[in-house]
Parts: sequence; C-alpha cells; structure tokens
Amino acid sequence: MEDAVKLNFPSDPRYLGVVRGAIERFASLAGFDEEECRWITLAVHEALTNVIRHAYQNRHDQPVEVRLTERDGGIEVLLTDHGKGAKPEEMCGRAFEDLRSGGLGLHMIREIMDTTLYSPLEGRNELLLFKTKGSKTAAGE
Amino acid sequence: MQIGVRQNGTSTVVDVKGDIDLYNSPEVRKVILEELKEKKTPRVIVNLSGVRYIDSSGVASLVEGLKVSRTLASRFMLYGLSPAAREVLELSRLIRVFEVYGSEEEALRAQ
Repeated sequence: MEDAVKLNFPSDPRYLGVVRGAIERFASLAGFDEEECRWITLAVHEALTNVIRHAYQNRHDQPVEVRLTERDGGIEVLLTDHGKGAKPEEMCGRAFEDLRSGGLGLHMIREIMDTTLYSPLEGRNELLLFKTKGSKTAAGE
Repeated sequence: MQIGVRQNGTSTVVDVKGDIDLYNSPEVRKVILEELKEKKTPRVIVNLSGVRYIDSSGVASLVEGLKVSRTLASRFMLYGLSPAAREVLELSRLIRVFEVYGSEEEALRAQ
C-alpha cells in the first residue's frame, strides 16, 4: 500500500487551519525539518486558498481533495477540485515588490515547491506540488 | 483569531492574536481601514506578537493598510513579528516596504 493520506473537506475557509495542521504533521512524519514543514504547509495552504477564491469563486460547500504522498525522497501533494479551471498561461501571479494584493500566493507556491504542475482536466482541476527534502526555500533572496 | 484596538498617546495600536488567513483576514483589513480612513488616526501600529501564522491574504490586508496610509499621509507600522510571520513577509519580498519595529516602544519613538 502506498504511503499516502487523503483529506476530503468542503471549500470553507474555516477548515483551512485544520488542514494546515494535518499537512504540517505529514511533512514532519516524512522527515522534513521544522522550517521546511512550515514552508510546505504555507504552499499547500496558498494553493487551497486559490481553489476557494478562484476555482469555486468563494462558494463554501464544494468538494476539495488533498492527497499527501511520500515519494522519491520528498513529499508529493495533489490537490483536486471541480470548479472553474484556469488557463495555465494565465497563472502568472505578480511581480514581487508590486504593491497589489492579488497573485502573491502563486508566487509563494513557486518559490517554496520544487515542482508546480497545474492541469485543468475534464470535470476537475489538479495541482501537483512536489518538494524534495533538503531543497531550501530562499526567503528574501 | 482575536483583534483589539487601543490608544497609546496619539497612536492607535491594533493587537492581533492567532492565525491570519483567508478565513479572518477580512476582519483585520476592516479594522485597519476603519482606523485609517474613518477615524483618521495619524499613526496605526499593528502588534503581530501574538500571530503564529499569516498567509498571502493576511499580507494583502497589511499591504492595503500601507497603501491607504500613504494616500492619507499617516503612518502604518508593524511590530512583534514572529519568526513564521517574518519568513512569510521575507518570502513575499514585501518586508522592506513596511516599517517594522521590535517593540511597541520603538514604534512609538520612531520619527
């Protein structure tokens, strides 16, 4: 059996704290240090925030699935939603130091994770995130 | 999350405790903008010493406060950043645009 945990929950922001707790614990079990666990948790949280805001347009009763897997010396996170898909080329976020409120989450995800792969599929969207143990997140560089 | 507002001289201190995320950042934004726009407070100091976690929506609320303060020629300051909150502001590369102090006294003394 694959070493994976699946979390299913509604797209309600009040559950985000619960999901963060689970992700941080899973990353710790997978062998990431405390700082890496915080970064991974932040990246997944930001991805979930984008699902709620953009794919589900702030509807709070839609299904979200997070699958966490230990793989190839790292952690793989697969997020699945059934909301409005985005065109990958439009997912550009925004430049740092630009004092606008939107797009910051996507930049954070890309800064933290080694792999970010978004796939709008038939009836669902998938976002695959991967981070290898020891690959540092360079905050502020 | 808990949020409170108190006066310290002519400054207003906004005390935030808990996590700031998509669920509660609208409340943080509302309180900050109320102080700046409606009460015309000349100096708003946000106390983040009780904040364990902040996400991009929380950072966006602080950015909005900063932008409004610049428009109104008032001051907008942060103090008491936890290591986790500091890391997020550093990752966003926005930490340099904020006035960040170690303590409330330092923020109050700043010219």
